[in-house]
Amino acid sequence: MSSESYAAVLNPFSEEGKQIVQEAPPFDSLPKSVVERAVERVDWEAGSEVKVGFSEEEVRRETLSFYLMCQSIASVSYPYSNQVQEVIEVSKRTILYRMYDLFKRGEENLCLGVVERDFRVRGLDRDEGVRLGSVDIPQQDIYKLRDLELRKDGIDPDRGEINNEILPQYFPSYAVRWPDLVPLIEHRDLDLTKQYIVEGWALITPKNLWTLFANYVGGMMEDYISDLYDKFSESGPPADILEEVGERISESIPDEVDYGKAGGFESEELKPEAFPPCIEKVLGGVGEGNRNYGIIALLTSFLSYARISPSGKSVNRVADFIDDMSVVEDDIVPLIFEAAEKCNPPLFEDQPQEKANVYYHMGFGMTTKPRMKDSGKTKWYSPPNCRKIKTEAPSLCRPVDLCSEVKNPLTYYYKSLSKGKESEGGD
Amino acid sequence: MEEMREATASERERYYRDEWTSQNLPDYIMHTLSLREFGFDHKGTGPSDRYNQFMTPDMISDYLKERHPYAVYSSVALYERPSERKKWLKSEVAFDIDAKDLPFKECDCTGGGVCEICLENARKVTEEFGKTLSSNLDLEDISYVYSGRGFHIRISDESVMGMGQAGRSQVVEYVTGGVVPSDFTLSLGYSKVFRKRVKRTFEKLDGEKMISEGLRRESVKRIMEEKERVINLIDDGSIENIRDFEGIGPKSFKKLLDLLTRLNSECADGKVTIDKKRILRVPSSLHSTVSRKCVEIKDIKKFHPDEAVPNFLKK
Repeated sequence: MSSESYAAVLNPFSEEGKQIVQEAPPFDSLPKSVVERAVERVDWEAGSEVKVGFSEEEVRRETLSFYLMCQSIASVSYPYSNQVQEVIEVSKRTILYRMYDLFKRGEENLCLGVVERDFRVRGLDRDEGVRLGSVDIPQQDIYKLRDLELRKDGIDPDRGEINNEILPQYFPSYAVRWPDLVPLIEHRDLDLTKQYIVEGWALITPKNLWTLFANYVGGMMEDYISDLYDKFSESGPPADILEEVGERISESIPDEVDYGKAGGFESEELKPEAFPPCIEKVLGGVGEGNRNYGIIALLTSFLSYARISPSGKSVNRVADFIDDMSVVEDDIVPLIFEAAEKCNPPLFEDQPQEKANVYYHMGFGMTTKPRMKDSGKTKWYSPPNCRKIKTEAPSLCRPVDLCSEVKNPLTYYYKSLSKGKESEGGD
Repeated sequence: MEEMREATASERERYYRDEWTSQNLPDYIMHTLSLREFGFDHKGTGPSDRYNQFMTPDMISDYLKERHPYAVYSSVALYERPSERKKWLKSEVAFDIDAKDLPFKECDCTGGGVCEICLENARKVTEEFGKTLSSNLDLEDISYVYSGRGFHIRISDESVMGMGQAGRSQVVEYVTGGVVPSDFTLSLGYSKVFRKRVKRTFEKLDGEKMISEGLRRESVKRIMEEKERVINLIDDGSIENIRDFEGIGPKSFKKLLDLLTRLNSECADGKVTIDKKRILRVPSSLHSTVSRKCVEIKDIKKFHPDEAVPNFLKK
């Protein structure tokens, strides 16, 4: 088998990978070895079991088991469920390990060949001084970037005890066009402000290039599983074996809840003393430019989630968590309407239609008279992340110490409650 | 500067009849006209007439000459079916720098008012952003527009038009200097962009603003006494040394840095950039609230708002 065909192992979504799937027999007729591999791969640690030889048969089995795993998990789990996330994480680790392994074995060009199909990459020659476009990169920047990367991995560059074998992985050795990295940004796997960009090229270390590529494939997996889920929701999975394999995969992954990471809270009365500063600010009323965002996008989603405290898994409808509209009408909506009244000018005075938008954002459709049976008519919006708030309504963001530990106002709330509980316990 | 006042209905009519022609539409709109959604504000209450599509320049020309709306908008997005806002194809990446909303004021303007000073500050911010977009991020097809009370940057570079919200959001952070970098001292890249933005914001920041944002009066006094030194420290990447000033500890330094970073973000309306389906004033149309033409700018370095005064306002 040619090294080009090996692309399917490093990127199952490559043309070679797709070709293997197109030529494969139906799921029900796949060999047992492929089915077992699809189940086992979720338990893979980064070790010798993830390695794949160059024979046509090995590449084919690996690729088919990957697709079977994706299709199976999509037939039993929601796209952003813990199960799906775990499947993606394991797959990213697998690809990363393979890239490293190949790099170590002198197969850098094989890895680069696969990466270059999706990213425009330039190799940098440090001996001659790094130059990008018309700009010479100062040598001290190269060393600073290396030290930043070392510190990220817990290695202190000032202690002088760095293994010379690993050092090359930490030097910027490639440059990638930053727009090619946008899919990684869209999947929250890369921060543009953390890149060293010169004339449109981002400097990248070998270690980061392999990580970025593994994350890039992970992003494609996320989209693929999400599309499959939509498709299966309409027409059902195309074969029984998918559900069987999906259940087996799912069983081997612990069913944790997302928001529960901060404490696992039951639905209970709101505790305003634990609200983050942005929510406090909106509750006090905001000015014209931020009214709709503050009241509808932020406050409505925050209060409804904080009060109802759903788990992170498969959050679809308010009605899945409460059966009494009084929670909405008495505990959540009055706070929202009061804050809207305090806005300058009061939000509902010139935009009365926004009252219906409050219920719309809680999933009851565009109405001012919601009923529990309407729950799920529209999407129940979750609170925007801190980062989004900072960009869309920077004046609402007045971070305090705890904010640096969280990425979402809701996590702040749970964390703050959790700290409150800890201190109560200590008294 | 010519007076800024609301245009009358007859002045709007005169403008679209005598002064405006479809030739004034910029190329990037003209070439994609039929793929854009158009929105109109007929009464000065906001663009409530949406989902309009024009297949040819003559069609929009006839419409404007007949209806002479209060304001004309078009989408940054291109759609297969713009009259339904469906089948999204791609969107320009747009920045909105509103002179009235800049976080620093060097004049007495209040409310929605703007003067030559605010507009010049907004122009400089626009120029800075444009430079980062074109040199550092190496984007092409960047257009600048004077919108009447501020500026728009519109990017039609193919490499970024397909970006989603997260990508757009990070471009805003990068260009405005809205995030503290991992290392202040790197000579190039985002570190340099951040230093420039923080320096500009700090230079324009007054002590009272810092106090109102929660910094201690004594710390602010010290910072203002050492203003030149602070600027030098920002310039050479040693900004963290501010916390070693007498009377300024890590907490005050963090507050100052958070404040400067947030004010950097407020120089552009991030909501506009992130929104792929946003509508923006059409260059060449009339901003009737202030009687100014929304104009495409040839050279942002040399632009003066007087270039946007419509004939009906000229003596």
